[in-house]
Amino acid sequence: MGDILQYFLNGLARGSIYSLVALGLVVIYQGTGHLNFAQGEMSLFATFGAWWFNDHGVPLWLSILLAASFAFVGGGAIEFGLIRPAAKKSPFAVVVVTIGLFQAFNSLSGLLFKGAATGLSFGTIFPNKPNDFFRLPGGAVWRYENIGVLVTVLIITALLFTLFRKTKVGLAMRMVANNADSAKLSGVPTNKVLMLSWGLATAIGTIGCALVAGINTNVSLGTMFGVFLLASAAAILGGLDSPLGAVVGGLSLGVIESFVTNYPKDWWASTYIGADTATAAAFVIILVVLLVRPSGLFGSARVERV
Amino acid sequence: MTALLEITDLWAGYGRQQVLQGINLHVDEGEVAVILGANGAGKTTTMRAISGMIERRGSVLFQGTAIGAASPDHIVHAGIAQVPQGRGTFTDLTVEDNLRAGAFVRKNTNDSIDTDIRQWFEVFPRLAERRLQKAGSLSGGEQQMLAIARALMSKPTLLLCDEPSLGLAPIITQELFDVLGRLNAQDGLSILIVEQNANLALRIAHQVFVLETGTITASGTPSEIAQNDTVRKAYLGF
Repeated sequence: MGDILQYFLNGLARGSIYSLVALGLVVIYQGTGHLNFAQGEMSLFATFGAWWFNDHGVPLWLSILLAASFAFVGGGAIEFGLIRPAAKKSPFAVVVVTIGLFQAFNSLSGLLFKGAATGLSFGTIFPNKPNDFFRLPGGAVWRYENIGVLVTVLIITALLFTLFRKTKVGLAMRMVANNADSAKLSGVPTNKVLMLSWGLATAIGTIGCALVAGINTNVSLGTMFGVFLLASAAAILGGLDSPLGAVVGGLSLGVIESFVTNYPKDWWASTYIGADTATAAAFVIILVVLLVRPSGLFGSARVERV
Repeated sequence: MTALLEITDLWAGYGRQQVLQGINLHVDEGEVAVILGANGAGKTTTMRAISGMIERRGSVLFQGTAIGAASPDHIVHAGIAQVPQGRGTFTDLTVEDNLRAGAFVRKNTNDSIDTDIRQWFEVFPRLAERRLQKAGSLSGGEQQMLAIARALMSKPTLLLCDEPSLGLAPIITQELFDVLGRLNAQDGLSILIVEQNANLALRIAHQVFVLETGTITASGTPSEIAQNDTVRKAYLGF
C-alpha cells in the first residue's frame, strides 16, 4: 500500500513537469496550429542562462525569474522574426524552422556554456536535504521538493487559467484560437496575440526546465530530450488545444511512467517489464486513447451545426 | 447627403488573381446599401477588402478618412464591423463570451458592456436562454442573430453583412431582415449587405449595386433596379 502511494507521489512530481512543458506547447498550438519542436531546447537555453546568473551571484529563484523573462521576450522575438515570415509561405516551412531552432539552440547552448555537454550543477529552490520529507501512513515519503514542484506547477496553471478566463488578453487568445478571421474582424491585433503566446509558452517551458534541472541537480544538453518527448505526448493525450488536457495528460503520464518503472519489481513480470519500458508503455496507452478518441481526452472535435 | 463609405476604383483578389476589377460604390449616412451578385461575382471579396482582410488597391474613404491600407483591427476601431459569410461564430466560446468578444475594441468598463449584453438578450431571448452554452451548439438562425449582435457590440457606425440569408430557412431570413431594417430605421445604423436573395434585401435597401464578375454593372434605388430587365430576370425571378 505504501509502495503504491510512493509510486503515485513520485509520478505526480515528474508528471507535473510534463504538464508544464505540455502547457507551453498547447498555448502555441491553440493559437497557431503549430507544434513548436524547439520548445524544449529554447527553454533549455534560457535555463543555462539562469545557471549563468546564479553562477554570477544572483539568487537562484531570481535567476530563474530573470531567465523566464528573457525567454518571454526571446520567444516573442522568434515568433516575429522567424515563425511569422515562414508561416506566410506554408505550414511546413514552420515545421522546418522549429526543427532548425531545435538544433540551433542546442548547439548554441553547447557553444556558450562550457561544460554544458556533461552537465553543470544546478540547485533547487526547494529544500532537498536527505531528510526533507513528510512520512505518510504506510511508509511512503513525500519529499518537500516534490511538493514544491507540484505546487509551483499548480500555481502557474491556475494563473494561466485566470488569464484565459478572466482577462481581456485571455479572451483575445481564446478568440484567435477558435477563429482567427473572426478575431481579426472583431478588432483583435492577432499578430500581437501570437507573439504573446510564443513568449508565454517559452517562459512557462523555462520554468519547467529549471524545475527538471533542480530535480536532476544538474543541467546538460540532454536534459530536455526525454522530458520534451513525454510532454508532447502528454499534450497530444490531453488534446492539443486544451490547457486542462495538457495538465491531466502530463500528470497521468508521470504516474503511469512511475508505476511501470517501479511496480514490476515485486511482480512476476519484472523480467519483462521495467524501467526501460516505461516510456514505451506510456506511448502504448496514448495509442489506445487516440484510437478511441482521436482528438485526445479533452480536445475539441470540431463539430459545427450549420 | 454625405457618403459614409466611399469606394473608388477598388481592386482586390487572391494572389495574382484579381477578383474585383475597379469597383466604385458608396454607402450614405443612415442608409442601407445592398450589393446584389451571383456566386463568384466578388461579393465576399468586396467585404473582405473593405475590412482589410486581403490585399487591395484603390481608395476606401470612411467618414473622410482613408482606410484603404489599414489593418483589420484599425478598421474595426474606426467603426466598421463585419458579420462574415458563414457567420464566423466563435464556436468554442459561450454565447455570452461571443458577445464580450464583439466588444473587444471598446474601452468601456465591464458594466456598460454587461448592460449592452443584457439588451441583446432582450432583443433575442433565445440567446439569453443559451447564454452559457457553446455557440457552436446553436442553430444556424440563432448563430446568425448572435453574429449580428456580436458585430454590433463594437458600437459600429457601419455594419457589413456578408450574405446573411445563406443557409437559413425562409422564415428565419425574413426575421433577420426585419431586425436589420429596424436597426436602420430606429437606431439610424448604416448597413452594407451583400446578398443573392434580392427580394428581401431590396425591401430594406435605399441604394442597390449589381456586381457581376468583379465590376459594378448597375446601380440605383430599389425601384430603379427592379425595373432593369436583366437584373429582374437574374435576381428577382420574374
